[in-house]
Amino acid sequence: MSYILNRVFSMMLTLFLISAITFAVTNILPGDVAMMIMGTQSNPEALAGLRETLGLNDPLLMQYGRWIGGMLTGDWGSSLVFKEPIAPLLLQKMTASGLLVLFSMTIALACAVPLGVWAAVHANRWQDTAASSTAMLGVSLPDFFWGIMLILLFARGLGWLPSSGFVDPADDLGAAIRHALLPSLALGLGLMAHLTRMTRATMTGILKQEFIRVARAKGLKESTVVWRYGLANAVGPVMTVAGLQVGYLFGSIIVIESLFNYTGMGWLTYQALLNRDIPLIQASVFVIAAVVMLANLLVDLLYAVVDPRIRLS
Amino acid sequence: MKVPAAFRNTKGIVGAVVVLTVLAVAILAPLLIPADWATRMDMRARLSAPTWAHPLGTDQLGRDLMFRVLLGAQTSIFIASAAVLMSIVIGLPLGLVSGYMGKTTDNVLMRLVDTLLSFPALLLALTISAVLGPNLQNTIIAIGIAFTPFLARIIRGEALRVAQMPYVEAARTAGNSDLRLITLHILPNIMPVVIVQATISLAFAILAEAGLSFLGLGTQPPDASWGLMIQASRDYLDRAPWTALVPGAAVALTVLGLNMFGDALRDALDPRTRGEA
Amino acid sequence: MVGDQTPLVSIDKLRVEFRGEDGPIVGVEDISFSIAPGETVCVVGESGSGKSVTSLSLMRLVEFGGGRITSGRLGFSLNGKQIDLAQADTQTMQAIRGDEIGMIFQEPMTSLNPVFTIERQMTDGLRVHRGLSRSAARARALELLQQVRIPEPEQRLKQYPHELSGGMRQRVVIAMAMACEPRLLIADEPTTALDVTIQAEILALIDRLKRETGMAVLFITHDMAVVAQMADRVVVMYRGNLVEEGPVERIFADPQEEYTRKLLAAVPRLGEMRGKSAPEPMRLVGETASNAPVTPIDVDPKPLLQVHNLTTRYPVKGGLFRRTIANVHAVEDVSFDIPRGQTLALVGESGCGKSSCGRSILRLSEPTSGEVLLDQTDILALSSRDLRRRAWRDMQMVFQDPFASLNPYMRLRDQVTEPIRNFGIHTGSAVEDRVSELFDRVELPRAFMSRFPHELSGGQRQRIAIARALAVNPKLIIADEAVSALDVSVQAQVLNLMMELQAELGISYLFISHDMAVVERIAHRVGVMYLGRLVEIGSRQQIFENPQHSYTKSLLSAVPVADPTKRNIHDDLNFRPIPSPVFPLGYKSKPSTYDEVAPAHLVLQNEVGLDAAPE
Repeated sequence: MSYILNRVFSMMLTLFLISAITFAVTNILPGDVAMMIMGTQSNPEALAGLRETLGLNDPLLMQYGRWIGGMLTGDWGSSLVFKEPIAPLLLQKMTASGLLVLFSMTIALACAVPLGVWAAVHANRWQDTAASSTAMLGVSLPDFFWGIMLILLFARGLGWLPSSGFVDPADDLGAAIRHALLPSLALGLGLMAHLTRMTRATMTGILKQEFIRVARAKGLKESTVVWRYGLANAVGPVMTVAGLQVGYLFGSIIVIESLFNYTGMGWLTYQALLNRDIPLIQASVFVIAAVVMLANLLVDLLYAVVDPRIRLS
Repeated sequence: MKVPAAFRNTKGIVGAVVVLTVLAVAILAPLLIPADWATRMDMRARLSAPTWAHPLGTDQLGRDLMFRVLLGAQTSIFIASAAVLMSIVIGLPLGLVSGYMGKTTDNVLMRLVDTLLSFPALLLALTISAVLGPNLQNTIIAIGIAFTPFLARIIRGEALRVAQMPYVEAARTAGNSDLRLITLHILPNIMPVVIVQATISLAFAILAEAGLSFLGLGTQPPDASWGLMIQASRDYLDRAPWTALVPGAAVALTVLGLNMFGDALRDALDPRTRGEA
Repeated sequence: MVGDQTPLVSIDKLRVEFRGEDGPIVGVEDISFSIAPGETVCVVGESGSGKSVTSLSLMRLVEFGGGRITSGRLGFSLNGKQIDLAQADTQTMQAIRGDEIGMIFQEPMTSLNPVFTIERQMTDGLRVHRGLSRSAARARALELLQQVRIPEPEQRLKQYPHELSGGMRQRVVIAMAMACEPRLLIADEPTTALDVTIQAEILALIDRLKRETGMAVLFITHDMAVVAQMADRVVVMYRGNLVEEGPVERIFADPQEEYTRKLLAAVPRLGEMRGKSAPEPMRLVGETASNAPVTPIDVDPKPLLQVHNLTTRYPVKGGLFRRTIANVHAVEDVSFDIPRGQTLALVGESGCGKSSCGRSILRLSEPTSGEVLLDQTDILALSSRDLRRRAWRDMQMVFQDPFASLNPYMRLRDQVTEPIRNFGIHTGSAVEDRVSELFDRVELPRAFMSRFPHELSGGQRQRIAIARALAVNPKLIIADEAVSALDVSVQAQVLNLMMELQAELGISYLFISHDMAVVERIAHRVGVMYLGRLVEIGSRQQIFENPQHSYTKSLLSAVPVADPTKRNIHDDLNFRPIPSPVFPLGYKSKPSTYDEVAPAHLVLQNEVGLDAAPE
C-alpha cells in the first residue's frame, strides 16, 4: 500500500516539474504570442498594448502561475494556428495517437515475446542468429524508413491500404482501423525488433538461474521449464522495457504522423513547433510528457501485481 | 586486454568494418571528391534511375546521388559525434558525482533526470531546435541535450555500483582523497559502460538527426545531410523511390554497423566487469 | 549391506568436455567409481576439480551448461536392469529425474522460482511423475514438509520463496527432491551457503532421510569436515581427475596419494589445538615453513586497541516519504581489548554483527555511540581528515572477496604503492624498494608487480591485499573473513603467512570469521557474537575447552569435526531461527552485563534474542 502511495506522490512531484520545464523551455522562444497574433508588420503601439493585455510583461513566475492555474480550472487557452480552444483539440488528437500507440504496442509485444523466447532457448545457434540479426536490422532502420517502405508497398504498390488521413473511430471504425494500420505498423516494426532483443536478453539471463536447473532436475519437460517457469519471470522486466518504450513511441509519432498525414498528437505538436504556436506547444509538450510519465507509473503498479516480491514487502 | 575480445566474434568484426568504412568515407570523401560533383545540377537527367553515368541515380535537381550521399556522410557523422560528445561532457560528471555522493545530491539530481526522461528524446530535440532556430550547430545542441539525461542515468547507475565495491573502500583506507578516488578508481571502472553507451548513442544520434532534418527542424540547405536528402525526396516517392532509398540505406548501414559493434563491445566487457568468474 | 549388491550407480571412464574459446576444455576425464544402494559417497575437491561436473553429468544436466559427454559409461540400475544414462534419450532422462534420482543444489536463495508459490513448485513434479490430482499432490506436499520438519507447513504452502529464510528454503528444496522417493539423492554443496548451525540441521536431516528411506546419497563438497561426518566412501578429485577413492576411515587415517595428504594436512580440525597455549601455523605437506608455535611477544600491559560500549545502528527506511521507520541494531554495546602482537577473533553466524564491528572500528561505517581507542587515540573523535591521515596509518583492513578488493584497472605495484605515497611513508626510490620488499614478504614474485589483478589467482590476490595493508606498517590489521573465500590448501598458506607476519612484525589482528576450526588455529583470544552482542569472550582455550554461554555451546556442537571416528550428527537439534535485529525507533536497549566466570573470561547475562522486537 505504501508502495502505491509513494508512487502517486512521486508522480505529483514529477508532474509539477514537467510543467515547470515545459514552461521554461518554451519561454526562451524569441518572438512572443502577441507578435504571432498580430503579425510581424503590425503597429508597435498596438503590439505593446496587446502584450499588456495578455500579461506578457509580468514576471515569469506569475505567468507560470497563471498558466498552471488555467490548466487546473480547465482553461487551456486557444491555439494561435488553429484558432480553437486547446483542450478539446488535445483530447481529440490524443485519442487518435492513443489508437496508434496501443495498436503498435500490441502488434510488437505479440510477435516479439515468443520470438525472443525462442531465440533465447536456441541461444547461439542458427535460430538465435537469424532472429537476432533480423532484430538488429529492425532496430537500425529509422521509423520513417519503415513508413516509406510500407507506403510504397501497401499503398502505392498494392493499393490495399490508405497512405494518409485519419478517421475518428466514433464515425467509422473500419475506416479508422484501415487508416491507422500502416502508421501502427511503421511504429510497431522497429518496436518489435527492440522488444525481441530485450526479451531474448532477459530470457537468457533467467535461463541461467538456479531454479531453472532445479526445475529440470525435477524431471519437468523442457517446454514447461521455459514457457512456464522461465517466462513467468520475464514478464516483469519485459513489461518495464515496454513501458519505457512508450516514451520513445510518443517521440516517433511526430515523424510518422507527419509522413502519413495522420492528424494525431504528433502531427499537432509538429504544426505547433513549425508555426511557433506557443500556447499549443506548451500544452502538447506538457500532455505528452504527462502521458509518458503516467504510462511508466502504470507499469510500476502492474509490476507489483506480477512480482510477489514487490507485492508482499 | 578486454577490447580485443570484441573483435573476435563475427558481429564485432562486421560492425567494426562497417563503422570504419563509414568513418573513412566521412573523412576522406570531402578531401577526394570535388564538392561540385555533388551539387552539379543536370536538369536533363533529373530523377533518373541508376545508370552508368549516375550509379545511384539522380535527385529532383539532377544531382548525382552517389556523390551526395558520400559527401553527406561528413555532415551526419559530424553532427552525431558532436552531439554524443556533448552529452558525455555534461552527463559523465553529472552521473559520476551523483553516484559517488549518493544521498540528497543523488536524489535531487536523479529526480531532475527522471523528469527529463518523461519527455521523449525526439520531442525534446525538436522543441529545442525550434526554440533556438534550426541549423547545423543548433541541431547538435538539441540532440546533445536530449540525450544527456539517459546517459547521465546509466553512468550514475554504474558509478553507484562501483562506489560500493570493496576496492573503493580499500582505496579510501589507503589514504586517497575523494578526487583521487573518483579519478583513479571509479572513473576507469565505469569507462567500459561509457564506451558501450557512447557507441549505441551514436547510432541513435544519427537516427535523430535524420528524423529532425526530415521534419525540417534539423540541418538546413545548403548543408547536405542524409536526413535532409530523405526529406527532399518526399514528394518524389512514386516516381523515384531511389531518392529516398539511397540516403535511407546509408543511414541504416551506419546505424547497423554501430549497433553491431556496440553489441559486441557490450558482450565482451560485461561478463568480465561483473566479477571475473 | 554395502558391497554385496549390484551397485546402484557405476560410473566408468567418464570424460566430459566443454566448448572453449580456443577449443574444447576438458571438464573431467577418466572418472570411475560406483555407488551402492543406501551408501553415501562424498566427492570432495577444491574449485576446478570437476566434482560438480560429475554429478551434473549423471543427471545429464551438464549439456544445458555447454558440456558434452564425449566418452564413458554412466551405469544406473533401473527396474532391475542396468542402463547407460550417457546414452539415454530425453524422455527416459525426464522420467528418471525427480523420480529415481533427486538433486539439490548449493544456493537456497535462488533454487526456488520467485514468482510461484511453494505449493505449486512442490506439486508439479509429483503430478508429472505420479499423475496425482491437485488435492492429492497437495496432501503429499504437506506430508513432505512435515518430514523435513518445517514449522507451520500449511502456511508455507501458500507462501512465496522470498518469505522464507535460507535454511527453510533448503528444507523445501530437499522436500521437493524427496517427493517421489528417489533411490539416489545428489546433493551439490547443499550447505556451503548456510550458517554452521543451519548446516548441522540440514546434514542431520539428510542423514535421517537416508536412514528412513534407504536411499543412496552422492554428496559433493569441498569441506573435509563434512566429508568426515557424512561419508561412507570418499572420492577425491583434482583438476578433473580422480585422485583417490576409498572408505572414509581409510582415507583420513592413511591417505595414499600426495594430493590427498596435502588436502588433509591443510584442513584445520576442531579440537587439535586442545592444550596448546598459543596459535600455531599448520603443518603443510611440502612446505619448509617452521611450525613452531608463534612466540608470544612480550606483551605491553597497555592494550593496543580498546573498544568500549560500541554501538552501531543502521536506519531502515520505508513507508511514506521514505522516513526512518526502524533501526537495525547491528552492533550493540560491545567491549573488548586487543593486546599488542595478539589476535582477537570475532566469531558468529551471518548477521551477528562481527563484520559491522570491524567496519565500525575503522569508521567505514559510522558507529552510533561508544569509544574506540587505538594507542590511546580516540578514533571516533577524529575529523575525517585526521582519520585519513592518522588513524588509517595504524589500522588497515583485508576484505573477504579477493576478486572485488583490488581495482581491476590498476597495476598491482600501484595499488601497493598508493598507501605509501598517500601517507608519505617513503619518498623517491625508497618507495619502489619498499614495494619490492613487501612483495617478497608475502611470497609473491617481483614479476607480478607489473601485472593486473585478473592475472592472479584468489590466493595470490589476497596476498596482494595483505601487502597493501602492510605497506603503512600498521599496528592492527582487521581481517574480515579474509580467508573464507579461498580454497582449503590456499587458506592454510595464507593463515600461516599471517601468523609469521605477526611473529615477525608484532601486528595485532582482529580476525573476523565464521569458521571455528580456523579461529582455533590463529587466535589468542576469542569473542562470540550473536544478534549484535558479544555473548562470550575469553582466551582460546577457555572458549573452546570450557564454553559457558548457551549460544557458544550450540555453535561449537554444530561445527563438523574433520575426523570420521568422531561423528556428532544428531537430529534432535532445535530449529531456532535467528530473530530479527530490527527494532522500532526509540527502543531502549539494555546495556550488556557480564559475569566473569574465570580471569578475563566473560559471559553475557542479558537474554539475547528474547528481547527481540515484535514483528
